[in-house]
Amino acid sequence: MNSKFMQKFIEIAGRIGSQRHLVAVRDGFVAIMPLIIVGSLAILINNFPPFGNFNFVEWMNGIFGDGNWQTVGGSIWNGTFAILGLLVSFSIAYNLAKSYDVDGLSAGLISAAGFIMLVPWTEDGAGLTAAWLGTQGLFVGIIIALLVTELFRILINSNLTIKMPEGVPDGVTRSFKALVPAVIILIILGFFQALMNVFAEQSIFEVIFNAIQEPLQGLGNTLPAAMVVSFLNHLLWFFGLHGTNIIGSVIEPVYLPLIEQNLDLFKSGMSAFDVPNIVTKPFLDSFVFMGGSGTTIALLIAVFIVIRRERNHPYRQVAKLSAPAGLFNINEPVIFGLPIVLNPVMLIPFILIPVTLTITSYIALATGIVPRTVAILPWTTPPILSGYLVTGGSWRGIGLQVFNLVLAVIMYIPFILAGARTLKRNKGE
Amino acid sequence: MKIILVCSAGMSTSMLVKKMKQSADDRNIMAEINAVAESQLKNELDDLDVVLIGPQVRYLEKKIREQLEPKGIAVDVIDQIAYGMIQGDKVLDQAIALKK
Repeated sequence: MNSKFMQKFIEIAGRIGSQRHLVAVRDGFVAIMPLIIVGSLAILINNFPPFGNFNFVEWMNGIFGDGNWQTVGGSIWNGTFAILGLLVSFSIAYNLAKSYDVDGLSAGLISAAGFIMLVPWTEDGAGLTAAWLGTQGLFVGIIIALLVTELFRILINSNLTIKMPEGVPDGVTRSFKALVPAVIILIILGFFQALMNVFAEQSIFEVIFNAIQEPLQGLGNTLPAAMVVSFLNHLLWFFGLHGTNIIGSVIEPVYLPLIEQNLDLFKSGMSAFDVPNIVTKPFLDSFVFMGGSGTTIALLIAVFIVIRRERNHPYRQVAKLSAPAGLFNINEPVIFGLPIVLNPVMLIPFILIPVTLTITSYIALATGIVPRTVAILPWTTPPILSGYLVTGGSWRGIGLQVFNLVLAVIMYIPFILAGARTLKRNKGE
Repeated sequence: MKIILVCSAGMSTSMLVKKMKQSADDRNIMAEINAVAESQLKNELDDLDVVLIGPQVRYLEKKIREQLEPKGIAVDVIDQIAYGMIQGDKVLDQAIALKK
């Protein structure tokens, strides 16, 4: 392996992985993930398929009166997914401010206030247009959070703040310290909104959505894009770098709205077969990254199949050690212990298998053999269970996972054999 | 001594932490060992002796070194194989060697 090239690659990936704004975006999404997962599960429960003769949703409606049971999940949705843009405008600003060591809470609040300022009102003037608060306003939320926090940081670090005499409680000092920057930032945004109204005659939300977000989403929902995401993630992991972490800041904003569209239609009664988007983050998590990046659960199975007799074989020991965590898609032990990292024998299967599974899964969903993804699960949800839930409770989801697993095991076996042979030869020397 | 392990979410490293604590107990070493995400690191600086970075986030090494070494905190990346095989005693050895 060319070490100069490798150093360069690690350096560039590292720079992306630790770039302040990208990290803030990623951590902002990580922070709201619990809410997203709850919102998604609420919809799943609302629309759960009948289990044989037992229909949970009808049963609950029998108790609460028709349609009332769905209010529980529906209102959870309204407080989580439906205001995603607003939530990230807070959480990203908070994280970015924290990274500069300035007041995160103030930055987050100003950013959320600024976000609401720019949201267009409904035609009849009765309230905010709900659609822009959610995923459609995601990109505006990110941009506002970053710009507001940068401005906030500059103003806080300048002398444009009100100084408090000694002895005033910290909380009071802090709120006054943020006051002048808040006033300046909100006035700027107010002027901006007025200018948009006069000259553009549409809101910044519409402009950004049409110019950036929608084209990117369209691109994201294609097979080539899914293959590129899969390929990059595994190439980074091959170099021992946390792939999902590094490209996460780019992936989340594009793929979250796609699953939201699916969820929203599923919520209003559309079948999981008919929802529009094939490629989503849960699609990759559930059908490709089984056992973690590299579909390593298949690798573990392949090791147990190939190396049966030698109980103390290093591969078998790593596999045994990794299996419990592997069930929950945590696979650092096998990636670093086998190792896969910088192991020329494992390079091909580790990248080729996930890309292949991306293609088979895409075909299965595109042709309608398997329903599309209508749930976001914690990424630690074990395979089989995840396949069932992510497709809105369909056995076909499990079927696709089993098919993919068998395929991956078969593809891994020759490379495990080759790796074991190399290991033996190196030891013999 | 206080040892902090840094990884992406503090999940995979927590298995290693458990093994390291066991190893410290066996050897009668008083050690406080924890795993955190990188963003949490700055809340753990009190009495901190050693920071060990998970190999999957080793790109953070330079940044963390620049921040912490002036404060007299030793920083290193965890040996890859020891990390993968969850060899708590080896990683504990690494931390102890760093502190000296």
